[in-house]
Formats: sequence, structure tokens, C-alpha cells
Amino acid sequence: MKIKIFLLTLLLSYLTVISSFAQFSPGQLSKGHANLEGVENCTKCHSVGNKVLRDKCLECHKEIKASIASKKGFHASVEVGTKNCLVCHNEHHGRDFQLIKINKKSFNHTDMGFELKGVHAKKDCRACHKAEFVSDPNFKKKTSTYMGLSSACLNCHSDFHQGKLSANCASCHNFNSFKNPKVVGFDHNKTKFAILGKHKNVSCLKCHKTEIINAKPAQRFKGLQFESCTPCHKDKHENKFGSNCKECHSEESFHAIKNISSFNHDKTGFQLVGKHKTVACKLCHKTESMTDPLKHDKCSSCHADYHKGEFAKKGVSPDCNDCHTNKSFAETNFTIERHSKLKFKLEGAHMATTCMECHRKQKDWKFAKMPVNCVECHKNIHKGFINDKFMPSENCTLCHTVTSWKSVTFDHEKTGFKLEGTHAKQVCASCHFKKNSIGVRVQQFEGISKECSSCHKDNHVGQFAENSKTECLKCHGFTTWKDSKFVHTSSRFKLEGAHRDVKCIECHKQTIDQKGTYIKYKFKSIDCNSCHS
Amino acid sequence: MKGFPHKISLVLYNVIILFTFLTLVYFGYSYYKLPVEGTLRLEHPLYNLLKPTGFIGHGLGIIGTLFIVFGLFGYMARKRMKIFARVGLLKHWLEWHIFICTLGFIMVLFHTTFKFGGVVSIGLWSLVIVFLSGVIGRFIYIQIPRSIEGRELSVREIQDLKSELDDELYEKYGIRFSEVKTSKFSEIRMKLIAAKVPHKEFRKVRYLIRKENILEKRIERLDMMHKLFNHWHVLHLPFAIIMLIIMVIHVALALYLGYSWILFK
Repeated sequence: MKIKIFLLTLLLSYLTVISSFAQFSPGQLSKGHANLEGVENCTKCHSVGNKVLRDKCLECHKEIKASIASKKGFHASVEVGTKNCLVCHNEHHGRDFQLIKINKKSFNHTDMGFELKGVHAKKDCRACHKAEFVSDPNFKKKTSTYMGLSSACLNCHSDFHQGKLSANCASCHNFNSFKNPKVVGFDHNKTKFAILGKHKNVSCLKCHKTEIINAKPAQRFKGLQFESCTPCHKDKHENKFGSNCKECHSEESFHAIKNISSFNHDKTGFQLVGKHKTVACKLCHKTESMTDPLKHDKCSSCHADYHKGEFAKKGVSPDCNDCHTNKSFAETNFTIERHSKLKFKLEGAHMATTCMECHRKQKDWKFAKMPVNCVECHKNIHKGFINDKFMPSENCTLCHTVTSWKSVTFDHEKTGFKLEGTHAKQVCASCHFKKNSIGVRVQQFEGISKECSSCHKDNHVGQFAENSKTECLKCHGFTTWKDSKFVHTSSRFKLEGAHRDVKCIECHKQTIDQKGTYIKYKFKSIDCNSCHS
Repeated sequence: MKGFPHKISLVLYNVIILFTFLTLVYFGYSYYKLPVEGTLRLEHPLYNLLKPTGFIGHGLGIIGTLFIVFGLFGYMARKRMKIFARVGLLKHWLEWHIFICTLGFIMVLFHTTFKFGGVVSIGLWSLVIVFLSGVIGRFIYIQIPRSIEGRELSVREIQDLKSELDDELYEKYGIRFSEVKTSKFSEIRMKLIAAKVPHKEFRKVRYLIRKENILEKRIERLDMMHKLFNHWHVLHLPFAIIMLIIMVIHVALALYLGYSWILFK
């Protein structure tokens, strides 16, 4: 029995030890050390009687030993100091155990010779520390290492500029973005195109645009057209002012205009004529910038409506240039012909009347709702003197014309006293305007007798009066006083014989007596001796 | 050690085992529950104390091992070496063996930090088998009647023991075990009442019948238990030896590589 137990024990022990000889370690090694698995390899890491020593690790990890010796890199830092490797890189924790464990929050990357700034600080370590970017062939195959990475930008980043600019991206770009680079150390002013004014604030990409160069997107730096502004800037004036923008503009601003005195405004859409030539620029260009667009298609864009909408039709006023010119607002191109198309046509004397006579009777001009009746402008001097039946509604035009007040077209026959002969040739005033007793001319249209004597003086001192009334028309006509219808044969004394050849004055002599001076026609006696002695 | 002091020592054994186990669980649960692989344990503040080479972890391993070695060889010496044959009762040595080895097992278990891998783990699993087989062995052990010193009784001695019981039952209460072994106690009670046995004695009668019943069953199983016990030895001892061999290798290697805890400094 005891022999059986002994044999069984021996067998089991033997099998156990032999079968698991290769697994004598307290746990599997991580991938990086997997090749050291096996009891024959224990002392490659473990020192006899001395656990695991730092030097033992560095025997294999020569790159770290070199890094420490050269006092460069993390393992040469104060933080690591002379710590045993096992403090950070513990083993026998399984094949998938990460030997390298970095506390991203506390790890001081700056000590590694490369400060993590901007986007770099946000990236995962392995975004950079990967075989693809490892330049040192000693580290290339070590997938778990963080070493072997160069601090050169192009080590990780592709050269967008295809070797045409510095390999040190940081000389232009910041660490937050490749966009909006801030060029440091490069003086653009030493190129043929000095960066002046607002160009200083423009992103490089605005001018050095990304194009496909060598089948790859890249910025163009050579062959840019910069002699004139228009290759980059759109000519808003559509070549109205030529292609040299600098004549008027500077790099400071397109809105700041220089050489204003020599600026030819006529090339703009608004030609300066008449009074506009003498107006100060700022009177129209009131905003800060001279280039701010101004409405100029209508005068009312700048000018206030002096007439306060007087001419508005359906709420829309015609533009000033409808009547005025650029020369002056005092002048007008509103012609008589245009006036004649209105309700009140300008005729006769009205044509010779200045506008203001009618339209500016007071301080302000007035055009709308103008009167058309004469008496609304002209004073009716006949009011109370002429019977309404001859001047109904105070209508002047029944007698007068627009040519002249003196030109009267009244049909006098309507009064029952037809104007004939010399009467018809007389001006109205001859009969109707007379000086009164105090020498003032007063008019009279009413109450005038049709008798000749009411107007005419009886030069015959009543010689022909019959019943105290002299009937002039018995002898005289209307043409002239000298024309006489008198026939001597109808008188008491018929002219016969030698009497026929005698002049009237021989018999009818001028007489002066108490009646006055007159020619005597009527005699008391027609006897011969009354004339002949 | 008899009677009360013995009972005290048994209680103390259990208390110590339970206290040790619970203390270690309470103290290190947050660490031991973490996966054995990966970085979580490394980041735990108790890692340096509780890891197998840590101050506590390594100490548990060394002390636990010493306990097991001492418990094993002590018991074996008492059992097999004549010079120790009279030192204490074998039964008490077994109890002590179980106690000290269980305590050692718990300490070694926590020394491993429940990381079972490599040849060392075979040692541990051997230890587990030894421990579990010890529990089973203890069960088989008590099935074999023994003398007060712990010596196995022969079948004859057991049958004599049974006869003594049977005689006592008959003389005092007029009952034969063979008559009542299949009866219900209510029937026995009727007989006892008829025989005018005082009620106070009923309990004693019941105890004697049960004891004899157990004894009879043990006699019936004795052969089988003897065989089982022999087989159990084949299981318990070889694994104990495997465990010891690996333990020796493990300890030797650890010392060779410089892991000597606080010793040899």
C-alpha cells in the first residue's frame, strides 16, 4: 500500500512539474515581453537574489539607456529619476496588459522636448505615437513604444506646400488650426508685393488660393498676378474709371478715396453739371465713406420738395427736373407752351407777365389751385360803375381781352347809343372818364344822356336852339363837325346869284358879345342892308 | 486536554479560522475582487501591500506555508513516529492538524490573491484538493469507531461495545435492541410504561437505542469505510506531497530571485 502511494505521488509530481515547467511564472508576460516567457528566461529580467533591477531592464532597452545617458526624454526626467522600471512597467499581468500606462493629465510632455499646444494637447497619444510616424528604424517595429518620434512637423503632417515653404510649419501656423496661419519670420514686404494697409489682415488663403498642383491640393505662391488690383478684386466700377484702382483707392480701404480733387465725377453714373459742380462733396456724400452708394436717379433723392407736394398726382410728385434745370432752382424750363396746355392758357399780356406776378403774390410760391377768373387776380375797377347787365359775374372778358385793358370789344349799341363816325374811333375814357370838379378822373357809365350837349359844348351859343334844345344832328353828322348837312336854301335867306360865290365868313362873321365869341348864323333881319351898306 | 478545555480549544480554532478569513476579506475585498489581469489591481492603493510579494501578501504566503508544513509534519510525526506516540491524543492532534492546515490554506489562498496560473497554481489546486479531501476524510474518519486515544477499533471491539450497550439496555429497561431497532419510539414507550420504567429514564433509553443504532450502522459500513479511507489516503497524501513539492520549488525560486519578504535582509 505504501509503495502504491509513493509511486502514485512520484508519478503525479513528475507529470505535474514536467507539464507545467514552462509556466512557472506567476502570470503571463505582456506582448512586448512574450518572447521572454519560459523558466529558462527568468534570469533575463530577474537578478539572482535581487528581484528585478533597473540595470537588467536597461541591458535590453538600450534606447532608453541611451536616452537616460544623454539626459533626454522622459526616462531622463526628474519625475522618473532612478525609479525601478517595475514601478511603472509591472509584469506578469497577462498578455494584453499595457506595460506603458501614461497619466495623460499629469504627464509633462514638455520635458520630452515637445510641448503639446493647441490641438496637439487634445489628441490621443497614439494619434501621433504610431509606427506610421516613427522615423527611427529602431522603434518602427515596436508598436507599443512612445519613442522614436521626431519633433519635426513634417514627421506627422504632410507638406501641404509641397516643399515651397519652410519645413517648420510653426513658423507660420499656430497649433490650433492650420487655417489662418500667422506668418512669423517671413517678411512679405521683401517680395515684389508688399503687404500694406488692409492686406495685412487678409488671410493668406484669400490670395494664395488652394489649387490642384501636381495632382494634389496646394496653395499657389508663384505666378500670382499682382501688378494690378483686379486679378484679386472685382472692379465694381466695371472699368468706368480704368483699371488702376490706386488712382483713387489705397490699401487702407476701398472706401477711403484719395486724390478727390482730381476725381472725375462725370465717370460715375451721375454727371456733375450746373450748380452741382460748385457743391461741396460732403453736401451730398454725407456718410463717412465717400463710396457709400447714393441714390441719384431723382432730384428728390437729395433735394427736399420745396413745393411740398403741390404737384403730386395720386400722391406722387414729379421730379424737380420736370420744371427746373441744374443751373438754378430759380430758373424753370416750364414753357409758355406747357402752361398753355393747362386750364389757364397764357395769352396776350399774360405771356409777358413774369411767373411770380401770379404765382408768388406772397412770400411763398403757389402753383396749385390757381384762380382762373380775371377778378381773382385783377381788381374790378368798374364795380359800382357799370350796370351788372353789361358785366354779369364781373366777367371782364365781355369787354376786355387779354391783350390789353385798353382793347375793348364792347358792343356799344347794346346801350342804345351806337357809336358811329368819330365816336367809334374814340377811346372809352373819352366819354366815360372825366375829371371831376377837383381834377380827379372819375369814371361814369351810368346816367349819361344821349344828347350831344351832354358831352359836346354848343359852339353856336344856342343860336339853333329850339325850345332851349339844340339839335346838332340837324346840321352835323358823326364823322366831323365840319361836315354839315345844312342846306342854305332851306333857310329864310336863299343863296342865289352872287351870294353863291361869297364865302360863308363874309356874311357869318365872328361876333363877340355878352354871349361870348362865336360865329353868328342867325340874324334878326335878312334884309340886304343888314349886310350891305 | 479533556472536557471543557478541549471544547474551548475547538471553539478557539474555529474562531481563529473565521476571524482570519473575515479579516482578510474585510481588509482586502476591494482589491481581491478586481480582475487578476489588467491594470485595475495595480492602481489599487492596497496593491503594494496585498500583492503576492507585498508585505502582507508575502507574509501570508510564508506564514501560511509554515502553518501547513508545521501542521502536516507535526501530525505525521505524532502519527508515525514512536517517540511522539504518547504526546497528546491523536484525536486532538488531528483537530489541531485540521485547524492549522485550514488556517494555512486560507492564508496561502489570500497570498495567491486568487490568481491561479502556472505551476504554482497546481500547488495551490493540490492544496485545495488536500483541503477538500481533508474535509471528506474527516467525515470518513468519524465513521470508523476509535479508542479514546484515536486508535481504530477492531470489529470485535466495536461489537463488544455494542454488546455492552445492549446489555445495559436489557438490564436496566428490559429491552433488547434487536426487538426495538425497527420500532417507532412510541411503541417502545408503551413497552417502557408496561415495564414501569420512570419517565425520567425515557431519554436515556432513547439515547442508548440511537447510539446502538449508529454503532450497528457503523459496523455495517466499517468495511466500506475502511476501503474508502484507504482510497482517501491515496488522494489526500499524494496531493499533499505534490503541494509540498511545488511549494518547495516555489519558495526556492522566490528566494533564489530575491523575494525573501522581511527575512534575510
